[in-house]
Amino acid sequence: MTAPAPLPDPTAPDQPSAAGLAGVPLGWPADSGDLPRRFPGREALVQELAARFPEASGGASPIRGGSKPALAALEALDPVRYAASRNHLDGAVSGLSPYIRHGVVSLAQVRDLVQQRMTAGPEPVSEKLLQELAWRDYWQRLWLRLGDGLWENLEPLKTGHPEAAYAPGLPGDIDEGRTGLACIDAFARELVERGWLHNHARMWLAAYVVHWRRVRWQAGARWFLRHLLDGDPASNNLSWQWVASSFSAKPYVFNRANLERFGAGRHCPGCPAAAACPFEASYEALQAQLFPTPQGEAN
Amino acid sequence: MERPVLWIHAEALGPANPALQAHPGRPALFVFEPGLLAGDAGPISLQRIVFLYECLLELPVTIRQGDGAEEVLAFAARHRADGVVTSAWVDPQLGEIAAGVAAALPLQVLEPEPFVVLPQPVDLRRFSRYWKLAGPRLRPDRAGTDTFS
Ligand SMILES: Cc1cc2nc3c(=O)[nH]c(=O)nc-3n(C[C@H](O)[C@H](O)[C@H](O)COP(=O)(O)OP(=O)(O)OC[C@H]3O[C@@H](n4cnc5c(N)ncnc54)[C@H](O)[C@@H]3O)c2cc1C
Repeated sequence: MTAPAPLPDPTAPDQPSAAGLAGVPLGWPADSGDLPRRFPGREALVQELAARFPEASGGASPIRGGSKPALAALEALDPVRYAASRNHLDGAVSGLSPYIRHGVVSLAQVRDLVQQRMTAGPEPVSEKLLQELAWRDYWQRLWLRLGDGLWENLEPLKTGHPEAAYAPGLPGDIDEGRTGLACIDAFARELVERGWLHNHARMWLAAYVVHWRRVRWQAGARWFLRHLLDGDPASNNLSWQWVASSFSAKPYVFNRANLERFGAGRHCPGCPAAAACPFEASYEALQAQLFPTPQGEAN
Repeated sequence: MERPVLWIHAEALGPANPALQAHPGRPALFVFEPGLLAGDAGPISLQRIVFLYECLLELPVTIRQGDGAEEVLAFAARHRADGVVTSAWVDPQLGEIAAGVAAALPLQVLEPEPFVVLPQPVDLRRFSRYWKLAGPRLRPDRAGTDTFS
């Protein structure tokens, strides 16, 4: 694989913080009770919203809303680099999910651009990116069909554990990022502070919550939905169900070798738990340890 | 509808919003509801609210907090509207708001451009079944023989 070029940063501030932040003008009079559309800067916007939404925790993500960062991410799409590197934490993924989820850009718009780039050169190009966009469409169609049914197991769990073996709530050390596992704590922090995680990090974190800590997937799904800028009950809950095995043939698990291979070398060096890593084992050993029912081949 | 107002919801916060496209300049409204986006899982983080707000500042919309249907109807009354135009939704929570609006005023729902049109009924039991139908309709001609993925 060629060295990945630096990712475009859709989060780069595009306004000097000193400049005012004003919405486009409205062609009708304001009414008392309308929320403001003009702020001295982003900091003031965040303060105002913190006061108006006292139940909302956190601050501002470095990822900004609006079509400017969305179009920059769209412009940077590269189906070839995407297919080669998408499973790596530093791979050429698009970062488009918050914008797609909220219709800042439509899935059809992204599709057109991907198709155009797939046919731009002389070589056939992987359809992987097109297929990942299709996953979103697929989950949305399921949501239309299932409604709130996507909060319930679509199929029985294949782990061999009864539903009652899973804790109903998320243990505090997980969402506070103090499990002592460098990878898991870093993912939890990124989820809460940035509101976005790479797909592989979502899979690892979900597998840890459901299989290592034996927590109901719904508790993890609720946690993600509160924080993910792209948080969407369809993509989110159904992916949790896929990890848990209520919407797949077997539970998803990972091991340390997998995390080190795709994790951009960020987590294991210096991890306080490195000597007693709960992920350090073969898939066979992990499955025997985590599940009473024998499982098929993982990954 | 001669004098509609537009209801903009959280699935269509872009300039391509079909209601904004169809009725440029008409008064438009977005409502932050208490259970917005996460429902029972809420309340959503400030990060999510700031993100939505930054999207909203770019659109010509009045922003309010409160009950969705009540706010839309009050907004329509303030602007002496004879109906409400919005865009299609997937979230059933939005469907409930829409039903509340439609009980009092004509509601027109515009469909955004679909990602892929499939023959009905679509088998959604697994992604592979969906992809068998969707893939051939999505692949640009030249990449039809792709062997790399
Ligand atoms: C436990 C778990 C929870 C998830 N929760 C969400 C969620 O709430 N909202 C959400 O949009 N995605 C969710 N995903 C799917 C996926 O992780 C994200 O869509 C993706 O990581 C977003 O990054 P990106 O925009 O760089 O994606 P890219 O890889 O660049 O893909 C481009 C676009 O395709 C769509 N897409 C890609 N992969 C998937 C996928 N597996 N499922 C659905 N759509 C996909 C997204 O809209 C994405 O923006 C979840 C995955 C897991 C494992």
